[in-house]
Amino acid sequence: MSRILLIEPDRPLAESYHRALTRAGHKVVVCAGAQTAILAADKLRPDLVILELQLVEHSGIEFLYEFRSYTDWQTIPLIIQSQVPPGEFATNWQLLKDELGVQAYLYKPHTSLRELLARVEQGLLVEQEAGQGLQAKPA
Amino acid sequence: MGQRGTGSSILSQQLLLSVAEKLKLPLMQIARQAEYGKLDGQTDLATIQATADHALRLLDNYALGVRLNLEPQLFDLESVSVSSVLYDTGQQLAGLAKNYGVELEIDIAGRYGPVMAHRQGLQSALVSLGAALIEALPALETTQLRLQLATHRSRYGIVAGLYADAQGLTSEALQQGRRLLSQSRQPLPNISHTSGAGIFVADTILRAMDLNLRASRHHRLYGLGTVLQPSHQMQLV
Repeated sequence: MSRILLIEPDRPLAESYHRALTRAGHKVVVCAGAQTAILAADKLRPDLVILELQLVEHSGIEFLYEFRSYTDWQTIPLIIQSQVPPGEFATNWQLLKDELGVQAYLYKPHTSLRELLARVEQGLLVEQEAGQGLQAKPA
Repeated sequence: MGQRGTGSSILSQQLLLSVAEKLKLPLMQIARQAEYGKLDGQTDLATIQATADHALRLLDNYALGVRLNLEPQLFDLESVSVSSVLYDTGQQLAGLAKNYGVELEIDIAGRYGPVMAHRQGLQSALVSLGAALIEALPALETTQLRLQLATHRSRYGIVAGLYADAQGLTSEALQQGRRLLSQSRQPLPNISHTSGAGIFVADTILRAMDLNLRASRHHRLYGLGTVLQPSHQMQLV
């Protein structure tokens, strides 16, 4: 069972994602805002994070910088699933990918639950392989 | 905002963009609920209905706001009971509040008498405002998910508004939102994670009736509301 931190401010949408991810066998913690998400990450130690950028008070980008500033959390796979069209981030995609470790950018209105679940599995697989690779190195 | 005549086309474009952005949310909710229903074999039709009803109301209220601005002469002021409008507003918001886990309270204690307003306009403005705040409250992570529809007397007149334990509901936030409406997809970043269209639709409707949306306090709660003038004519009767 993988631990997923879902940062989603809209309650009904969060419920749908929570149900689908739980049904797929994951443990899911939902946070509506950036500050509670940082606290939840500390407690949950997530295997993967799903992040909306449009949050209240602190934006998703602010969360991302804060989250990645902690050494322990720098390699945790992170998927952005946002109402903000990816075209608006086209020029900053390299920054998001290379500097902030964003694995995928999903445009929420066009992303089905099935697609989200597939991306999550993909993200967790990459994480697993990376972990195995690290374990294998000393040998 | 709130300009009539030549300004109306600009107003409607800004507002239309905001409403279009906002409508993605209920449509996404319905799409994801329907998709999960296919996986699970169970679909919560009541929730989907409330979501669709809310989206339709937003469209209706937007259209009313634009019409009021284009043809203000068509809408005469009348003597209106604030308590009755707040009660009906609560009824219209009940389904959405349930979807968001928000408890609605109506505080209409006190005798304030009728006010001068366009009843449909006032109610549409309060419903738009209430819907926007209901959606915003869980994202604000307030300790209590409670929204109060209330009226009280101030030195300027009779205030009708919606109140919550949310300190972000300030005049500054509202003014900033009005300025950012045409530039930002999230013009009220301290209040709402959405485009906040409901708040701007309410603002537009109220301005068309020569009223103002403003920050207001009710007991210890923060909120947005409007000041209404008592109907002296009716009081004499």
